[in-house]
Amino acid sequence: MELFSEIYSCYYQVLRHLLCCQTPLTIQDIRQEICREGFEESLISIIPKLEEGTWDLFKKEEGIYRSKLSADFSMPLSHLEKSYLKALLSDPRIRLFLDQQQIDSLNDMLASAVPLWKQQQFYYYDRFTDSDPYDDADYRRNFRTLLLALKQKRYVDIDYNSPRGTRVHHHYVPARLEYSVKNDKFRLLALKQSGHGKMKLETLNLSRMERVKPIDKILTLSVDLNAMIQNSYYAKPLRLHIINKRNALERAMLHFANYEKNTTKIDENTYECLIYYNQNMETELLIEVMSFGPMLKVLGNDKFLQSLRARLQRQIEITGCQQN
Amino acid sequence: MSDFQELVKSFSKTREYVRDFFVYGFKTRNEFKSKSPRTYDNERRRLESWLAPYVQKDYVAKGFNLSLAIDSNLLDTNPLFQVWKTKSFTDNDIVLHFLILDLLLAGRTMTAEEITDSLLTQYETLFDIQMVRRKCNFYAKEGILDKKKLGKTVFFSLDNTLALWIKSNENVLDALAFYQMAGCLGIIGNMLSEQLDCHNKIFRVKHSFFVHTLEEEILLELLDAMNHKKSVTLIIKSSKRGLTNTAICIPLQIFISTRSGRRFLCAYLEKNSRFTCFRLDTIQKVTALETSQIYEELQEKLERNRRHLWGVSFESPERHHQDRLTMKLQVQEPEEHYIVDRLYHEGRGGTVTRLEKNIYQYEISVFDCNEMIPWIRTFIGRILSLECTAKSVEQRFYQDLQTMYQVYQISGHNYDH
Repeated sequence: MELFSEIYSCYYQVLRHLLCCQTPLTIQDIRQEICREGFEESLISIIPKLEEGTWDLFKKEEGIYRSKLSADFSMPLSHLEKSYLKALLSDPRIRLFLDQQQIDSLNDMLASAVPLWKQQQFYYYDRFTDSDPYDDADYRRNFRTLLLALKQKRYVDIDYNSPRGTRVHHHYVPARLEYSVKNDKFRLLALKQSGHGKMKLETLNLSRMERVKPIDKILTLSVDLNAMIQNSYYAKPLRLHIINKRNALERAMLHFANYEKNTTKIDENTYECLIYYNQNMETELLIEVMSFGPMLKVLGNDKFLQSLRARLQRQIEITGCQQN
Repeated sequence: MSDFQELVKSFSKTREYVRDFFVYGFKTRNEFKSKSPRTYDNERRRLESWLAPYVQKDYVAKGFNLSLAIDSNLLDTNPLFQVWKTKSFTDNDIVLHFLILDLLLAGRTMTAEEITDSLLTQYETLFDIQMVRRKCNFYAKEGILDKKKLGKTVFFSLDNTLALWIKSNENVLDALAFYQMAGCLGIIGNMLSEQLDCHNKIFRVKHSFFVHTLEEEILLELLDAMNHKKSVTLIIKSSKRGLTNTAICIPLQIFISTRSGRRFLCAYLEKNSRFTCFRLDTIQKVTALETSQIYEELQEKLERNRRHLWGVSFESPERHHQDRLTMKLQVQEPEEHYIVDRLYHEGRGGTVTRLEKNIYQYEISVFDCNEMIPWIRTFIGRILSLECTAKSVEQRFYQDLQTMYQVYQISGHNYDH
């Protein structure tokens, strides 16, 4: 079972889409498809092969390319893909998506496949233990309602237990379901009307939702989710120096890999790293930076630096300058 | 650069370049001393081509720095999946792929000879029968074609029922969208989704460490050995010094850190009679050996030992069997109760005791308390005392704290030199 195989390659995907095209193609149509789906330089490899007929998959007449294949061409699943699917069927989260009947059907079709892994072969040693209740029927129902509403851009009425202990309910449009591997929890990135026809982005924990009800209203406005997330980042990023001792540079680069960041070398042993974040990420980022101890030196922004200094000040006031 | 090819034959050669590019941005030619300038130029050009939408150029005094701009908050896919889709192939490979599958899609069962004849009559393409047979056998091995022998005749056919069922089943496609982002071997989910023309627009992953997809081939080989209870030979390249060595071990479990995304193979070294962990990103090659006769026994033993693991180290820094760490914390009640929750949720089985109002004690015995220091530091601001039977751990914590006080110019009422 090969993972690095041409059958899953980008070029095969591009060609499949071209070959499944019902309508005749000009070389310009083909170029556009390659630019859209291929790599940056795929054009210079693929076009000559088609023009010269080395990849003899089209009938060419007066500059028009007609596929030799039937329009419903598709590839069957490989052993690797079947074994992957079979392994997923043992994951507790699969029931968020499939009901028992669907699981049984899939299991029947995968009868001869051997699962790629068993759940017990993986051990997440630092995962938090208060994961979401994937077995809970209400949780699953809420998850599915949100999933459907997200695809339909439908408003939902969410009845929510806030962290302060109060119960609130508002209308939202689900934008993305965000999963945290560390917390083993789902959160909803949701759009909420903020007045003057504008939308604002909020984050809600799925496990705090009491009830989710779809309502008869669809979002017609076009919303740029990533622009909203990026606009929420502080104008001044976290600026820190990484002192490359105890392999700190590699550890820090991998640890903060999931943030938008920019790193430059200052001198032989020091690197400067800018990390972009918003208010929601602030506490977690502070904790992550503290976990590196003196290997990271925070230079700014002022707010972040003050939060870090306040923690250290509080620490020195509790214990004094204790030296062991 | 006339010999530039966008696709590559071998993944392992590219793996190191991509990882460095991801972690550090692209190194200069001088930093790749072991490779020729042409190799460097070609590798760099390839990576820029594969990952074009994510490549960031920052202009500096001596030219520009290249890096990857990857913010998992903004992405519906792992950009590094692209690297898995770069395998090179021959002209015959791609033509035979589409024509043989198209021919058999109609539900026909055919021999290699019949397929070769039909390629000529239906598609006007002439192929050598041996080449067609080789391709059919390879596809049968990969599970794409079914192969049956009747007497001395071998027949090939194709069953597309499962692909069509999944394509019409939105719930399975949603599940694939999720698992490709959040699960192990997500690249397979991604390839399958693409094959079914489905793209994730639903899920994002908060703590996602995209670079570890580069280890998936190694992971597959280890899982295969584990499923067959086989020992393995590993070729390991140290990330610090770049030295290569070999280890023979029995692979038992994959340990994963959700905080760094790092993955480790936990294995038993028969030669030393002990468990150890190898970082997956340092493993260059896996070769399966014979079946282990003591596999279940070792699994049970690991299960018992795991209770005393904080992370991945089975060895005490001071050669004790285990060390005990006790930390007292100041927690303002009730408003800071979330700190107590953290001790329970993140404390990996440690005991939490309320000593008096606003004071809690956390206690645990583990093999290597050194591994706890990063977590302990996250409570800075509340730590009333920290004691450990491995004195070096205590010392390191307090020394680092001193350094931080100095770096940030912190002084307190009780500050005394």
